[in-house]
Amino acid sequence: MSAGSQAYAALRICYFNGILPLWRSPLLIAAVFLTPFSFLFFLFVIAPHALFPYGVVGGILFTALFTGSGMLNDCAYLRLERQLQQVFVASPVSPLAYILGMALSELAFSLPAMTLFVIILFLVTPIGPLAGLGLVGLLLLTWLMATSLGFFISTLFSQLREIWPVGTLVFSILSILPPIFYPATEIPADWRWVAFLAPSTFAAQLADRLAGLGGAITTNVPLLNGPLFDVAGLVGFALLFGVAALYFARWRER
Amino acid sequence: MAVLEARGLSKTYRRGPAPVRALDRVDLDIDRGRLFAFLGRNGAGKTTFIKIAATLLLPTEGELHLFGHDVVREPSAARRLMALVPQEGKLFYHMTPREHVHEYLRVRGVSAETAKSRTDTILDEMGLLPYQNVIALRLSGGLQQRTLVAMVLATEAPFLFLDEPTLGMDPFARRQVWQVIRKATGRGSTVLLTTHYLDEAEQLSEELAVIEGGHILYRGTGEALKSTVGREVRVQFTGDVRPEELASFGKVFAERGRTVVLTTRTSVPELTEFAFARHLEITVGPVALEEAFLELVGRGIEEEE
Repeated sequence: MSAGSQAYAALRICYFNGILPLWRSPLLIAAVFLTPFSFLFFLFVIAPHALFPYGVVGGILFTALFTGSGMLNDCAYLRLERQLQQVFVASPVSPLAYILGMALSELAFSLPAMTLFVIILFLVTPIGPLAGLGLVGLLLLTWLMATSLGFFISTLFSQLREIWPVGTLVFSILSILPPIFYPATEIPADWRWVAFLAPSTFAAQLADRLAGLGGAITTNVPLLNGPLFDVAGLVGFALLFGVAALYFARWRER
Repeated sequence: MAVLEARGLSKTYRRGPAPVRALDRVDLDIDRGRLFAFLGRNGAGKTTFIKIAATLLLPTEGELHLFGHDVVREPSAARRLMALVPQEGKLFYHMTPREHVHEYLRVRGVSAETAKSRTDTILDEMGLLPYQNVIALRLSGGLQQRTLVAMVLATEAPFLFLDEPTLGMDPFARRQVWQVIRKATGRGSTVLLTTHYLDEAEQLSEELAVIEGGHILYRGTGEALKSTVGREVRVQFTGDVRPEELASFGKVFAERGRTVVLTTRTSVPELTEFAFARHLEITVGPVALEEAFLELVGRGIEEEE
């Protein structure tokens, strides 16, 4: 199969694994909305209203990161419970086309919630077209990073029961604990370095900058204070997880 | 010409407390266009062999070439030529049989026109047309399995791995699937099938191998395997009879409350008279592949012990 055919295969997988189930069970969209909207609701009720835009940005990022959790669960389910990944492995479909197709399906699941959060963000804080484009790029990078990580983890286990708690743990660490729904400066100064162990911190700082919100962590090293540091951090993590998904994931059992 | 060649193929699983040798230096050739059946008990090594051949699992030792491509070193080249029905595979719950077949063909790079025509044909051949637009969630287990087999057979791939393809199907559906499998080999595809239904292996395969404990115990035709039993007739008695009374006629064993004798044709009149005299119900038939399989696998286990 040519590169074009592989890309087409990925789109087809996105169609039948992402768009078709959404079309047939629209309730699935609500499942993606529920958690970030609950966080936003709590923030709205208990936090100063100045923090609300952070919550909206957090909602956007959470839905982008949620694609990783979905990827982990779906890939594990199709491989271990339904044995369907095997049907695609023993075929001309390349691992990259399969992973991309699955990742696009997860994007399809998250897009409605993501779009709604972006609309809310535009309503609560003015964003220029350039910043808007930057936000789209940031979300795509976050999606790539999260789904690569999700796929990689999904291949490491041979029992669904082992995967569910690991998935919950990893994506809670990735999408709830880091400064996504709140400014990074709220973290005590001595512990701020810990936040940078999570790739989502880089994504959140970038998103806050693009939305014109303050709150990024500043250090004595000027190089580490600008958006380039956040971009480098996020790209670095995306590359790391991408390589792991493509080269170290167990496409074939050992 | 052999399109599948395995040499010294071994697999040791090291997941549990002790390593398990699932395949032990297996050599096997399968010729193009053949329907080859793998028989064996659960855990004998059939699925492990298929998983290695279908590039799902790495062997511990040995080589396997599919159409000349080493499945370890050139998996992409081998994958272009294969399709697989996995053991206990299940469908996407939200998709219909038509969507499964059509989408799988499109993903594999089959053109829209060909995919549509092949989908129509296979759904008809597999008796799935009445259910073609019902989502998998609402299909019975047998219909789901039929859809999975249809998906894979519609690919017309040069090599088809079918790991227990008719599991859970009723006898009518099984026969429908057999016909489509025969058609696939008629078209030139090579089929490697595993099954626990020995009648299926007998009906379908031109050649078979019996595997036990990771070793191939037998390789040849079903007829030749049956001839290894040394008796042509199976006589079954229902009623009060002691095995010792029949021991002189051949091999005697109990099966589901009945007494079975594997014997020669010349003994049948005498055994019939015996049954009439004792008011026993008697059933006479040819020795089936099952007897030969049980004899062979049983002997293999005894030898190991």
